[in-house]
Amino acid sequence: MINVIKEGPKYIVSEVSITEANLSNSDQFKAELISLLDQHHKIIILDLQELKYVDSAFLGALVSSLKYAISLQLDIVLVGLRTDIKDLIKLIRLDKVFKIYNYADDALFAINKD
Amino acid sequence: MSATNVKRILLVDDNPLFLKILVHAFTKSGFECASCFSAAEGIEYLNLNTPDAILSDYEMPGMNGIEFRKHLIKDPILKDIPFVFLSYITNSDLMSEGLDLQAVDYVIKETPVNVIVSKITNLIDTFQKQRELSVQEIKRAAIALNIRTVPKVAPVVNGFDIDFWHQAYQDVPGGDFIDFIEVDDRYSFIVLGDVMGKKWVAWFFTFSFLSYIRAAIRFGILNRDFSTAGILQKVNSVICYDNALKDILSTMSLLMIDNQEQTVTYSGAGDLPMLHYKAKSGELEQVGTDGLLLGLFQDGGYTELTIELQPDDELFIFTDGLIDYEDKGEKKSDYNLFKAKLDSMLKDKLSFQQIKQNLIQNLSPDLVDDCSIINIHKQ
Repeated sequence: MINVIKEGPKYIVSEVSITEANLSNSDQFKAELISLLDQHHKIIILDLQELKYVDSAFLGALVSSLKYAISLQLDIVLVGLRTDIKDLIKLIRLDKVFKIYNYADDALFAINKD
Repeated sequence: MSATNVKRILLVDDNPLFLKILVHAFTKSGFECASCFSAAEGIEYLNLNTPDAILSDYEMPGMNGIEFRKHLIKDPILKDIPFVFLSYITNSDLMSEGLDLQAVDYVIKETPVNVIVSKITNLIDTFQKQRELSVQEIKRAAIALNIRTVPKVAPVVNGFDIDFWHQAYQDVPGGDFIDFIEVDDRYSFIVLGDVMGKKWVAWFFTFSFLSYIRAAIRFGILNRDFSTAGILQKVNSVICYDNALKDILSTMSLLMIDNQEQTVTYSGAGDLPMLHYKAKSGELEQVGTDGLLLGLFQDGGYTELTIELQPDDELFIFTDGLIDYEDKGEKKSDYNLFKAKLDSMLKDKLSFQQIKQNLIQNLSPDLVDDCSIINIHKQ
């Protein structure tokens, strides 16, 4: 469900291969994301460009994984969000807790600058 | 079970001819079939799909049926999909190894294909019935304990009409919760939230949330603290400290009606912005506050707004199930589209009763989430 496509010293870039993220796959998504954080111990840049729909169970899994990342002093950065999903994230104020960029390269630039 | 009630099966066999025969037989019986030539391919398919049953060959190159089952059993969701082994082997040790791995059954390949199809059909039906029975039992237990996450009736508050509509996902009580708390003659509280996550698990957690909210409101009132933002912060702090709730997140809209001043104070925790219909101008305005999901961080950054409603003004608070819709077979969420629909209904002078009817009629048959909406109308 989550494929690593690039790895750097401080980060990994990964993409999510599902189009509909809901209750049926949110547990698996969270388990994979937690496992990536445990294995690599790096900031995860998550490319969500394939996603066309998310429900609250998926957003819950995403936020819960972010809490875990923060406890490890890491981060999860979101890129490639469709406009409607980005709008939903902003409406429920999750843009205050996730760093969001249009493209993975923008996120990499920001991470490398820090 | 898929929402459309078409049974879905994953068939895994390295023998292309046998796989073709199985696909033909299952398709003919109304199944939606996915076929894979190896366990590895099957795992890839299961990364994106959740069939109602898996029928897998026992002997396959690479990962065999037992190894395939061992892989699936590690996954919290995939382990519960009924799994049936298919093999020429009649070795009882191998059979018991398969059954030790909680495989549901074992079918010998010489079995006529129509018998295999009947066996799988019965198996899926039995699983479905067991699930329905469990749901019924929990419903009966909930009724016996008199615990509800959605009240039966709306409260009567001087100067306001309050009404609501709630539709549970597949009629299974889920993460949405509603509460009306009448503190005294002057103050009433309206609570709407959505516990994000597993439906049945979410349903149980809503009771903890409701207890915390009720306690925080009562303590606030005892201390003469009438701040909705303060109440949300108290609830959030308790939830963040509660280890049992550490992985549970929830949205919440909290409204306090002061019927002496005829005002409504609103705070939100990661909720969808409220909509305010202004009768005089005919405008439907989005009203949002700051404030993060309950359970996210110790400091939720909650703020509050006090709204003075004019006669015939209306407020609408709702959960995300209402902004979902389907377009050409694709599920989408669009807050602005829902706002536009509501705006159009209000411009047509529809009452909330009529709006409810409209929402029920246009409910997607593939509803994937709870839907809840509360309406406050200033008389």
